[in-house]
Amino acid sequence: MNDIEGTRFTGHGPEWKDAKLSARDARAATAWVEAKVDRAALTGKDRVEDVRDRMRELERDGEIVVHRIRDEHAPVEAKTLYGWTKRIPTAQLWHHKSCGQCGNIPGYPTSLLWLMNQLGTVYLDETDQTSCTAWNYHGSGIGNLESLACVFLRNFHQAYVSARAQGLPDGYYFPLVHCGTSFGNYKEVRAYLLRSAELREKVKKVLAKLGRLVDGKLLIPEEVVHYSEWLHVMRSRIRAIQTIDVGKLRAVIHPACHVYKMVPEDAIYDDEVLDGNRVAVSTGLVQALGAQVIDYSTWYDCCGFGFRHIISEREFTRSFAMDRKVKVAVEEAHADVMIGHDTGCITTLDKNQWIGKAAGKHAEIPIVADCQFAALACGAHPYKIAQLHWHASPVEKLLAQMGIDWQRAKAEFESYLEAVRNGRGEHLYDPRRAITSGPGARKPVMA
Amino acid sequence: MHATASRKQQHIGDPLSPQPVLDRARLEAIFNDIQADARYDHELNGCLNCGICTATCPAAQYYDFSPREIVQLLWTENLEGIYDAMQEKIWACAQCYTCAARCPFRNSPGSLIMIMREVAIKHGLQSAKDVLRPFSRVMLKLISTGNQLSPDMITADHFADWGPNISKIDAPLKLLRQAIPMPTLNTMQTAWEVNLKTSIELYTIWEMTGVLKQLEIIDENLFDVITDIMDEKREDYEDWRESQDGNE
Ligand code: SF4
Ligand code: SF4
Repeated sequence: MNDIEGTRFTGHGPEWKDAKLSARDARAATAWVEAKVDRAALTGKDRVEDVRDRMRELERDGEIVVHRIRDEHAPVEAKTLYGWTKRIPTAQLWHHKSCGQCGNIPGYPTSLLWLMNQLGTVYLDETDQTSCTAWNYHGSGIGNLESLACVFLRNFHQAYVSARAQGLPDGYYFPLVHCGTSFGNYKEVRAYLLRSAELREKVKKVLAKLGRLVDGKLLIPEEVVHYSEWLHVMRSRIRAIQTIDVGKLRAVIHPACHVYKMVPEDAIYDDEVLDGNRVAVSTGLVQALGAQVIDYSTWYDCCGFGFRHIISEREFTRSFAMDRKVKVAVEEAHADVMIGHDTGCITTLDKNQWIGKAAGKHAEIPIVADCQFAALACGAHPYKIAQLHWHASPVEKLLAQMGIDWQRAKAEFESYLEAVRNGRGEHLYDPRRAITSGPGARKPVMA
Repeated sequence: MHATASRKQQHIGDPLSPQPVLDRARLEAIFNDIQADARYDHELNGCLNCGICTATCPAAQYYDFSPREIVQLLWTENLEGIYDAMQEKIWACAQCYTCAARCPFRNSPGSLIMIMREVAIKHGLQSAKDVLRPFSRVMLKLISTGNQLSPDMITADHFADWGPNISKIDAPLKLLRQAIPMPTLNTMQTAWEVNLKTSIELYTIWEMTGVLKQLEIIDENLFDVITDIMDEKREDYEDWRESQDGNE
């Protein structure tokens, strides 16, 4: 574990030593230690089954087709909670977007695509995809295992065949999931699909009707991969194109529940990141970029999003976000920025700071996604690319600390809006590639 | 544990209360539906009553709610308690799965709660209808388009507590959306442009997996609105297909 002066890692692992705290501090520290949940707490149970073994068996028996990660996807290996190997494809990626990100905080996906452009990563962003539907499901109970499984299989089948529109072979693009809830939900659903012949039978009828089978079989991806995992394995390559020094920044990480608490055995843990004690994504990237990652007692807490709560139990969401996350990050960790890797968390933690103030909770901190932070550190335009004007939290402070003249950047963006108004907006890729079939599709465009 | 197991309580209701006991057949039907879910046995493996789940449950800090209690009710097959919890408590859960990550028995109280929510809808509990009313905008958007959220849903009217400005740059929403450098995101009514063909495929999923039936139980008006939209979009798609045939 990195023993950075002034950070609060001490006491979290085998290097524990008596901190000789005052009674008041001891109370705070006890709560902190109670909140400590490291890798041991998660692996102390019986070793769980690796469902990917079942996937390989079913593939061998000719029951399913597996969308394989091939050499052309340039996979990089990572280790999961139990030390299992997970291969993360780094090239030829199909962006599976997040409705909350695209609708609310669009700088989230644009920063990711911008980073890919800088690194020369080939990708496809297209219109033939639906939301995973899991936000609605977790919020309302409308939906069921079968519907979730069908949505998963339909979207991933489209990823598999999408390159046809460019005259390229099936399986060329591998899906990269943007949303943490989609990621958790798809993995849960994949496990049930692999375990239950009955479920496979049921969904096969639906997929057959949609024309979404491969050789009459269900198509299962070799891995379900979250964009934060791509960032994690690309972190040294991102560092290589970094242009802004972030060494003075104190950053706290909010790990997303659906990324590492849901199907925890698949989350990436890395011995180089916090001694392998906590989920590695985001923290690894932020450390690689040179910022100081600061610990805080409520790191394990959720953000308060709650799925239904963000819509109709706002007091819960606001109180939880402010009291358990924002205030702690500010008052305990003295952080300059909070960085996350999931849609609902970024929205909740960011947007609730406005009403937080009105409700007498005076704490504010810039909230951004890991890819937005990385893109800014690599010189992305704060408004044109990182789209920070959609954030309610004081992102301007972060920009100032990074030495970015945000007022100038804002003025640039405002004049750029004139160009957009006149139809001269810029895009990250050729817009003709976005529609691969159905209404609006045009002739194949090469990748 | 199987649906035929019977440790169900013989006496439902308080024997000293003048209130009539709940209809046992209804309670059993509800419980049987919960137990019959394919996930049930996987998500409930016993319970130590240790309370670890409740200790780190965010909802338990703010509501009269405890995942330990929910799991105990299911594990002891307390039919009346289950029915009771389904009125309000199951809707307190924030679906974070902290409980699932920590439970020494590898139970997932969060997933069990999802099964209970689905069953509450299947049985048309009034409490489920009430609780879901404010969620109807999300359901309308999702079921009719395939997107759960859209820029035109996020207005200061609907999210007053997010402040008066959705964007810190004062410009029309449409222009700001056009200024997003991903062509799929230059939209207002969906978070990204969803191909009509894609929405139509999703309608088949909704129909074949019983989601529309759930919707009809919970909100008949919303069901009518959504099926009308679906019919229209299917017609549009058929028109497009015919126009393609003509071109060939
Ligand atoms: S999933 Fe629900 S019950 Fe479990 S910890 Fe989160 S809020 Fe509590
Ligand atoms: S943590 Fe698990 S065993 Fe303990 S009370 Fe909760 S459900 Fe029961």
